[in-house]
Parts: sequence; C-alpha cells; structure tokens
Amino acid sequence: MDENNLLELSGYIVEKGRRLGASDVEVLSRSSSDVDVVIESGEISGVENRLSDGIAIRLYIGKRMGSAFTNIPTTEAADEAIAMALASAKVTTEDPDWVALPEPREYPSIEGLWNDDIAKCEPAKAVEIAGEFMKRATEAEEGLIAAYGGSGVSLYHTAFASSSGISHSERGNVAYAYLGAIAQIEQGVTPMVMAFDIKRHMDLDLEAAVDDIAGLLRVCKNTVEGKSGEHTVVMHPWAYGQILSYTLFQAVRGDNVARGKSKLEGRIGETIAPDNVTIVDDGTIPTGINTSFADDEGVPRRRTPIIEEGVLESFLWDTYWGNKTGEESTGNARRSMRQGLVEIGRTNTVVEPGKRGIRDIVSEIDHGYLIRNVQGAHSSNPESGDFSVVGNPAVLIEDGEMVGAVHGLMVSGNAFDLLGKCVEVAKDPIALQGLIGPEIIFEGVNVIARG
Amino acid sequence: MFDILEKAVERGQELGAAYVELRGESGFIEYIQMDDLRVNALTQRIEQGVAVRVLADGAWGFVSTGDLGSLDGAVEDAFKMAKAAAPTRREPIVLSNLKAVRDVEKIKVARDPRHVPIEEKIGYMESMTKVIKGYDPRITAVTVKVRSASGKKYLVTSDGTRIQSDVMLVWSYPWVTGKEGDRLSAARHEEASTTRGWEYMEDFATPEFMGEEVARRVNLQLGGVTPKAGTFPCVIGPRVVGTLAHEALGHLAEADLTVNSAFNGKLGEVVASEGVSMIDDGTIPGNVGTTRYDDEGVPASRVKLIKDSVLTGLLTNREYAAKLGLPASGNARAESYLHPPIIRMRSTFFETGDWSHDELFEGIDFGYYCLDMRGGQAQMNASFQVGIQEAYEIVDGEVGKPVTDLSISGIATDSLFKIEGISRDEFAFGAGRCGKGQEAFISDGGPNMRFLAGGITFGGQG
Repeated sequence: MDENNLLELSGYIVEKGRRLGASDVEVLSRSSSDVDVVIESGEISGVENRLSDGIAIRLYIGKRMGSAFTNIPTTEAADEAIAMALASAKVTTEDPDWVALPEPREYPSIEGLWNDDIAKCEPAKAVEIAGEFMKRATEAEEGLIAAYGGSGVSLYHTAFASSSGISHSERGNVAYAYLGAIAQIEQGVTPMVMAFDIKRHMDLDLEAAVDDIAGLLRVCKNTVEGKSGEHTVVMHPWAYGQILSYTLFQAVRGDNVARGKSKLEGRIGETIAPDNVTIVDDGTIPTGINTSFADDEGVPRRRTPIIEEGVLESFLWDTYWGNKTGEESTGNARRSMRQGLVEIGRTNTVVEPGKRGIRDIVSEIDHGYLIRNVQGAHSSNPESGDFSVVGNPAVLIEDGEMVGAVHGLMVSGNAFDLLGKCVEVAKDPIALQGLIGPEIIFEGVNVIARG
Repeated sequence: MFDILEKAVERGQELGAAYVELRGESGFIEYIQMDDLRVNALTQRIEQGVAVRVLADGAWGFVSTGDLGSLDGAVEDAFKMAKAAAPTRREPIVLSNLKAVRDVEKIKVARDPRHVPIEEKIGYMESMTKVIKGYDPRITAVTVKVRSASGKKYLVTSDGTRIQSDVMLVWSYPWVTGKEGDRLSAARHEEASTTRGWEYMEDFATPEFMGEEVARRVNLQLGGVTPKAGTFPCVIGPRVVGTLAHEALGHLAEADLTVNSAFNGKLGEVVASEGVSMIDDGTIPGNVGTTRYDDEGVPASRVKLIKDSVLTGLLTNREYAAKLGLPASGNARAESYLHPPIIRMRSTFFETGDWSHDELFEGIDFGYYCLDMRGGQAQMNASFQVGIQEAYEIVDGEVGKPVTDLSISGIATDSLFKIEGISRDEFAFGAGRCGKGQEAFISDGGPNMRFLAGGITFGGQG
C-alpha cells in the first residue's frame, strides 16, 4: 500500500475508534518492501523479499490505554484491531499522568528521502551490486573470504492520523551493500572485518568500502600480543557507538531520567566531557538513515544538541514523558509496531568532527589500540554505565603504525568516565546506520590482554 | 491453510523449481509492559502470514507476505529471485534427502494464554512489582515485560512434507534498578516456556520467584566490590556455563558459521580438555527450543558436538548437510514467517563430570565464582564475551564477597583446553533468546566448571 492508502485507512480507524467510545485515538501505519541479496561463504545464496504491512493503534478511554496491531491492511481487520484495543483499554489500569495526544505542528522541510532509482531497483540489479562488491573485495586482498554480506533496497510508506488532528504521510527509501570478511591464518581465522555503504540513492561507493575492508584485513592477518594497562585507544564509531548506545544514550532518554534510572539526572548545564565533545541527535539530516518528517507520534523531527562542547544540553523526550515532566517532546518517539510500545529513541546521532585526519593522529601514537568493533556492548550496565567488552577487531598501534590484530583484547571502564578521557576527535565523519561520526581518541583506557 | 499452501507449492513446481517450501502461520500474540505499575504497552494481535522459499537453478528465492490471497504471485516472485541469483553461483545449492513427513504436533496446556483474562496478567505483573519493591528499599525502578503467543504453523513442501504444529509461548522478564547515593545498579531475569501455558506463571515463573531472583541480584550488586582485571582461576555456574556452551562453541558448531570459523576442518580433532562433552539437543521434553520437527520438516535430534574432548558433530540444515556430507540435524529454525529458516541451537549444554562441589573450589587462592549472566556474544575467530550480573570472589578456596558488573571473555579454541574440573551435580537448564539476525528461544546449561588461570579473562575495572 502507498502512503495515501495508508492515511485513508488510518483516518478510518481514528473515526471508528472515536465512534465506539475511545476518547483519543492515534494510528501509525507502515508498509515496507525490502529486497535483500544474501552473500554466504563467498557466494550469493539467494534473494529475499519481505513485504510487510502494519497498522498500530493506540487509544484511550479517559486515562486508560489500549493498543492493538494488525498486519492485514483492510477495514475488516482494522475493525477487529479496534475492538481488541478497546477491550484492553477497558480492563487496564488508569494512568493519572497521561495528559493528551500531541497537537498538529509544522514539519521540517527535508529533501531527498525518496529516490525513484531505488524504487525501481530490480532484484537483478541488487545481485549485480553484491557480486561486484564481493569480486572487488576478493581481488583487493589475497585470501579475503566474503563470509557474509549482501546488498539491497528498502522502501517504506508511513501514515499517521490522530483524533487530535494530525494527518500526515511520508515515504522514503535507501540502498545498501555490506560485507563481512575474514582470512584464514595459522591460528584459525582473522577477526571479521566489516564495511558497508548505505545511501538514499543508488550510487553506492563500493570502492571506498573495498579499500576499507581490504586494508584492515591486511593488518589483521598478522596476529600480535596486547599489553594490559591504561593505554591510548582509538575507537571507530562502530565501537563507541555500541558502547554509548547501551550506556550514555540510555541515560539521556527522558523516561530513564524521570524514573531515576539515569546517572545524568539533574545535570543539565554541567560539563560532563571535554570541550572537544559535541554530540547531537538530528532527525532532519537529508542523508541520515533515520531521518523523517515526523516521529512515531506524528511530532516533527528536529535537531537536539545532547552534549555541546562538553556541556550536557538536553535529554530526549516523547509526548508522554515530556508532558509528565513539563518538557516539550523532542520528536524522539519510537513505536515498536508489533508490541505497541512507544519509547524514546535516538534518530541520527551526529558527533562533531575535529581537525586532524585519522592517519595523522595514529602516526603520533607510540603504543595504543584501534578498536574497530566490540563484542558484548549489550551486556553493559545502562544504569551505572559500566562496560566490559572485547575489541574485535582490535589492532595494536606501535610507533605510529597499525601492526596487527590482538585476539581477545578487553576494554573496560565506565562510559561516563570514558567521555572525560576523550583527547581528540578525528576530522572525517563515517556514516553508519543511525550514527555519523569520526573516530574518537581516548587516553588512559583500561585494556586487558589475555594470558 | 493447507489447501492454499499446497496450491502454491504446485505453482512453484509448474515453474520448474527444484524445491518449494511454504510456511504458514496464524495466531494470537500479546505483549504487555509495566513500568513502575504503569501499563506502558498492552497489545494484542492476530497475525497471519506465509513464508515462501524456492530453490531454482541452485539458488534461493524467498518472499514473505501477509497477503494470503496472492500466494501464487509470491511463489512466482520467489522463483524469479532465485533465477536472478543463480547465474552468480559456482556451485549450485542442493539439499540433503529427507523422507516426507505428514504429522500434526499438538501442545496440550492447562491454560492457553489467549484465554487468560488481561486483568489476571496485569495482576501477575503488579504482584511481581510489589515483591521486587518490597525486597529492598533501594530499588527505584521496576519494569516487567510479559509476552505470550498461541497459534498454529503449517509446513508444506514439494517433497511431500505436510506438518501442522501448535505454537505456544509464555515469557516473563523483570528489569530492576537500584540506587544508593551516586551508585546505580541493575539486574534482570528471564524465564520462558514453549510447551506450557499460563500455568507456568502460576507454578514456576511466579511473581515471588521472578521478583526475588532479580531483586536479590540488584541487592548484591549494590553491595558488591569492584572486580579485578586479568585472568584468574574461576568456577563458572550453570547459567553462565550454558551461555559459554552457546557462545563459545555452539555458534562455531553451526555449520553455516563453522566453514568461516576457527573450528573449520576440526571435526575429529581434540578441541577441549579431557572429559569435556557438549551436546545440542532438540528432543528434551519441556525445554525451550524443543520441537518434534524443525522448520524444514527435519525430525529433531540430539547432536554430540564434543564427545570426550573431540569435536564430533556440527549443527546443520538440509543445505549444509548436503554440502558437508553430514546428517541433517533438525536445527533449521525461523523466527516467524518474516524470515527464512537458518541454523540455530536448541538446548545446548555441557555434560556432568566427576568433581565434587568442594573440590571445584579447593586450592584457589584468589579467583571468581560466576553465577548469572547478562547476555553474551561470539565471533568467528572464536572470541566470546559473556556479561556477568552475579559473581563472587573466591578467596582461599571459599566463596567470598559479591562483585559488581563485569564480563568475561576468551578464545574458545584456547579456553576449552583450560577446563580443569567438571561438577558431577545435576543442573537446571536456563531459558533465553539468541539473536543471530533473527530471535530464537533457546535453552542452555551445564554443571559448575572450574577453569585454570589463562582460560578466562576478566574485564574488571581494577
């Protein structure tokens, strides 16, 4: 279904819900089509196409909330879902803190979320991209095995309607290619090196991705020993993005602040990092993968500074928690369609770049480690901020050169303390899914080598 | 459902596909989340959909759709996708032979969660919250999540297989935060059943049991000492041993991963200390992960991954069974109709040994006793990591002070040789979820095990 049909159905549900006794109703409808070429063990194993429709309803009878979901975009299925949501609302507990659904507001102007070439991409074209990516990578580095990967396109149509007067629809699409590569070595295999490109047009930069993956794999073919102690650590955005995602970014969620689950509670305006650290949540960047006009409650997306030159500037809010604490929604509501849960979620996290290139920075490190990716960030303690992860790949830097991979190198600490150890941010942003930022250099990080 | 699936299989055969597989699902799914006694989500849904998988010219085409009225079109699309991928292949994908199965797998439960009143479910969550809050005044935030599912799934293939299976799930998950001064801590606990109904929440995963398990850990962490960094001798308890079985070796024994991992080519070789045996079993009655057939219609089996220190088996689906000349082990599982089946574990565990409980701790001057975990992750170079949310120091052979957050890691190809002793005591399986691109409910376990220094690295802060 396109966004216009979805909006019509959403409007029908709002009206019907109100007629059947709901005091407030909101509906988020989404239709998506994903084509994914699958690379497995150096070959394309097949092509997958997921066609998905989802209608998520949240309604209130007074201050009692009920929700429902259906994957069948018809008025008959919608009627059943409305009945289920109403039945839930009738028996659930009253929430005295619930105030109102968000009111209509003007949306930002964003160009380029929809691309006709992506929309017209046939499976054969996606197969060609995956094949080309694999071929070039294999040719770029001897012994490179394309262990897994793929390419494809993702198209989505979204509509939002509510009894408070919001009626909004939008659409978007992306194209992507990704590869995870290893090489056989005497000790077994190298760490898996990943690279990808994801864009809102079809001109994927495979060359840069191949250079990236082949260059790092070449280094990782050499296995070296690490040294325990406090060392300089260069973190790729893949690595710090994961660690911060389970710690700092949980602590800036307004609901966690309000519930006493955040170490940053009451610290707005305080310096929590050096002045070279600026982190912004920006749901309006045209190239951002999580960019949209509206959040999942129909509230306009915006740019929200979280840390500006080391100072904690803002938390992220949705409507419920904003109303409860006297804050305005920052357009960060994210709805799990099937579970009905509306939570506060980041859009695109942007780390402000520094002045020097990563090569120049690395060339001045006598002994340190490049952590490209980590294992186990999800087992961090989001409340305390303690983390203890394995860097994989972790690369030893000696005398300004990347000399080889260290297997099983652990990095531990506290995410809030880690921010204070940031000595430099590199100058070239790397665009990942939901995070755009350069490498960050930390000093005095606790590193634990095996043995 | 069978009729429309069979008709679509016929359409795939008419097109000339080598294999056509349709998996249909229809059922009730419910999610409730309560944050500090506020119902934050209460969603019921009836969901139906079909996964179409076609093998043509040696490549896969896959389409998932919720539109049951256009399955012929979905089969045609899947066929075209397979055809688009096929010219790139050096070797065509083939499947191991399978005797066609016609069966109906029923799950009998006392209380189907579909028919349990919502008020009762909310009451369960309120009771758990009250148990947790009442355990320790320092507990500041309580989130309780409950999921349940009740439905049917259908498998029809061009090989003649036709299986109807009941789907059941009850799942309970509290996440609790404690605070004392500036110190914040958190713990969680998870229990699930895929063979019992709501009665599981009344006689096993009760509000009292779940609440005390999680609150006790928050209490321990708030009073815990900072762990040291480095490698120490240690004793690992059943819930963590199970996660090690799953992460350290289990994933590397999934044949689609083995071929690119540090265990490639090691079948028949010694990969662990003497006396170590490890199994993945899809047949243990009542365990999460147990089903009569996998999502390709292969009967579940018990796979001896390590027998007396030797790597003896791998987990396969029909594709990798044919590719590697191994039996299809019944490990092909799909999260739902939205995904194709891939190789997943079921119940993965180490077998018991012959050490007494006391012997495991004897002679350890300083080390750690790790009893509960908070997630884990494996990589192809055999590197594993497990987050620990309940651990104690071992000092002079005795269990000592509790320890705050830490994680453990190692390289499986080395660590498995550092297993020094295995308890003879029986153990309980733990239920959990694995996220290899898709969610799968699994169970794991094992007896207390002692590792030599050098086997496990502790990512402590000190």
